[in-house]
Amino acid sequence: MRRFIPHSELARDSRFVRQDNAQATVLSQLPDDVNAVVEVFDRFAPMIERAVKGTDAEPLFEAYGPGFALVTLNEPLRPGDPAAETRLKLRMHGIYVGELQALEGAGRSLWDFPDAPWEFKMNMARQCWDEARHVQIYEKLLEHVGGRPGMFPESTFLFECACHDDPAMRVAGVNRGLEGLACDVFRDMIRYAEQIGDEKMRQAIDFVLADELTHVRFGSEWVKEFTKDDPERFKRTQEFRKQVDKQFSFGGARSDREDAAIPIAWQDRKEAGFTEEELSELLQISGGGPSKQTLLEAARILRERHRARRAAGQAPASS
Amino acid sequence: MSSERMYPGTGPDERTHFTPYGAFEVPADLRELFGRFDVEATARRVRNFRYAEEWIMLTLGGWLATIPEVPVKTGLGKIIWESAQAADALGKRLPELRCGRASVSASEAPNAGFAALIQAVAEPERPDLTIEKLAGLFDVLKPHLLAVYERTARETDPITDAPTIEILEDVMRRTRRHVAWADEVLERLCDTDGKRERRRRRAAALRAALEACGGVTGALADESRQAS
Repeated sequence: MRRFIPHSELARDSRFVRQDNAQATVLSQLPDDVNAVVEVFDRFAPMIERAVKGTDAEPLFEAYGPGFALVTLNEPLRPGDPAAETRLKLRMHGIYVGELQALEGAGRSLWDFPDAPWEFKMNMARQCWDEARHVQIYEKLLEHVGGRPGMFPESTFLFECACHDDPAMRVAGVNRGLEGLACDVFRDMIRYAEQIGDEKMRQAIDFVLADELTHVRFGSEWVKEFTKDDPERFKRTQEFRKQVDKQFSFGGARSDREDAAIPIAWQDRKEAGFTEEELSELLQISGGGPSKQTLLEAARILRERHRARRAAGQAPASS
Repeated sequence: MSSERMYPGTGPDERTHFTPYGAFEVPADLRELFGRFDVEATARRVRNFRYAEEWIMLTLGGWLATIPEVPVKTGLGKIIWESAQAADALGKRLPELRCGRASVSASEAPNAGFAALIQAVAEPERPDLTIEKLAGLFDVLKPHLLAVYERTARETDPITDAPTIEILEDVMRRTRRHVAWADEVLERLCDTDGKRERRRRRAAALRAALEACGGVTGALADESRQAS
């Protein structure tokens, strides 16, 4: 068995379809400029249309065009919002496949680094069991909200961003970047579950969040251990973590901005071992990108263009 | 209050009044001293077992991303953790067997043949090879380990080496569960004659390699002969 596999080789059954990761990568780098956002989504339109075909996202594409994610995914979860149900399913499905990738990432950290210290292997082995339970929990929760695995395309962006071939950067990416993002998302989901009075969802996610704090702690400790006596490597690892944090902020969707879909879970992150300095950096890194107004305006233009193309019987602009 | 002695004195008439019991009398304990393995042989076996459990953990970790069946992924996630716990418990026994403090993470293949067998078990990678992955590990390697663990627990000194037996009993309980789980999964996955034949062929090939290298202790034939 080879070491270090590409994200495209993550094995899935026949229910799943892939979404090209380029979209998520570009989204994380977009400026606060309506035309730039429109241009990028127009360019990706054929790719997005191909990925959503036959999934529950196809009607969303038909209704909103290639910018459907801007009006569904990048908006906060609010009870009573007409799109809340779709948004919840999209988010729940995103978490489910994210947990699958976290399971696979933890497993690969065992196989890819056979000479790592024993305690590291113990931590990663424990994480495999935790992530396996998380997959099971989110499959149940997905069904609980009326969804099912494979209903939306899966982006392997999380695995791609986080799985580095240096163990220090791997744990910085997976255990601090990816699991840190999980802390933010799960705290937001708990808040939503409380608002709608869904005790089953609240309790299950609260347990998962407790596990995630442990995984972030594994990351914090192993980054220190792997880079001790090597300040240059520590610096590179921190730079990599910042880069991952930027990508996982999805152009400000996860940030401390007022219009953010996913606020940063400051208290949970502190408990998990992020330093004040790292949290200040995250505040800076995640806050950039297009504002909500920019995204909504871009979504409106994209929808109008899409409708015009459909009326004229045209396919989306080619990429 | 009794006037009888609570503590022995120095003379023959200065004994306490407490009833004498032998160490194995209550409850009746029929264990006898002496086992098949001395301290060095036990330590070697523990290192061999640890080698197998550690490699099982690593291999399963690698396979998670290459297996498309979600319940297999999640089922293996727990087995990874239990294999890690087995390797950890075995490692912690080593310093108690005069191997030194640093020996807690010592693993040792009995010979190059067994090391090659482990790599052969880990070899299948493509997502259409779940049957081969599971058959190698759960039809061949784990049942073999279970048999050797059972024999070791039965034949080692039950009193002097009781800590090893305690560890093995815990590992065996979980290993039996792993084998039963995988058998159920394989029964479901092997739903055609062709797939059942793949399972059988894969297991037969690895069983032959296992016998040729002498298994996890490198002495499979000798031990089986002596046991019978």
